[in-house]
Amino acid sequence: MALNPSYEAIGKGFVQQYYALFDDPVQRPNLINMYNTESSFMTFEGLQIQGAIKIMEKLTSLSFQKINRIITAIDSQPMFDGGVLINVLGRLQTDEDQPHAYIQTFVLKAIGTSFFVQHDIFRLALHDTV
Amino acid sequence: MDYDYLIKFLALGDSGVGKTSFLYQYTDGVFNSRFISTVGIDFREKKLVYQTMNGRSQRIHLQLWDTAGQERFRSLTTAFYRDSMGFLLLFDLTNEQSFLEVRNWLDQLRTHAYCEDPDIILCGNKSDLEDRRVISEYKARELAEKYGLGYLETSAATGQNVARAIEVLLDRVMRRMEATVDKSVLPHQRGLRCHDTDIPPSTSSCYC
Repeated sequence: MALNPSYEAIGKGFVQQYYALFDDPVQRPNLINMYNTESSFMTFEGLQIQGAIKIMEKLTSLSFQKINRIITAIDSQPMFDGGVLINVLGRLQTDEDQPHAYIQTFVLKAIGTSFFVQHDIFRLALHDTV
Repeated sequence: MDYDYLIKFLALGDSGVGKTSFLYQYTDGVFNSRFISTVGIDFREKKLVYQTMNGRSQRIHLQLWDTAGQERFRSLTTAFYRDSMGFLLLFDLTNEQSFLEVRNWLDQLRTHAYCEDPDIILCGNKSDLEDRRVISEYKARELAEKYGLGYLETSAATGQNVARAIEVLLDRVMRRMEATVDKSVLPHQRGLRCHDTDIPPSTSSCYC
């Protein structure tokens, strides 16, 4: 497969769609459709998870009612297999907590004219020392 | 310097047990906490005077550290534990899961704190919601005694035992400090040490 020239638009469009689902507690379970039953990987704060069902168990176990998000940057690159690599830098605020910066990286794998999330890595941008 | 001791306490426990409300209640509803975004922690301050056993007054500058919601995503930044001299471990009397998690918090705490047996006060919070209580006082005390923790039932909503919990913790930490402090170092360099043999035994795990 060739490089996808629309990688920028795909990256931005995907991120917008993904967080629209994630940030709405009613719609969050629909994120399962973005992942593959077996070949999707997630690393959430260092925890390694494989497969859509286990990934959704993690995402739906997060204990907040509402989440506000500000995206600072979305950087994307085309991949040689037709996929798209996306890196997100943003801030999120859960309920009345203080806002935290975070970094999330996705690899979208092309299947026909569509994509699924093959890799998803999430970290809050927090350090061990002041 | 306008104080003799800088004391740092950390409030721990599952999200939603009322840590922020608890600290807010103690600092008289003052909102001006300081947030350190690099480590994702929030703290409030209060000055008070502590009377030592031999009747001397010590000026205490108390810093109360809050986890700012990061525990929703991850285990806490280890710096949190390392720099704390005492711990307020909260659970919600109306939420069984938050009580079951107390053991995990203790494991975390003992792994990362400045020593293996730091001073900890267990607080059964939301005592004002008596009709929704699922954890009995007996059950909570049993756990506290097993792990050598002080136990108090608190309400961040009404203020019941909130100041008391912090006073009891301060008393334990100050007794340890008095017993272990090297008198030759300057006041702001005073630190805590573990396992010194001359720590006065704390009277009981029950302060009520």
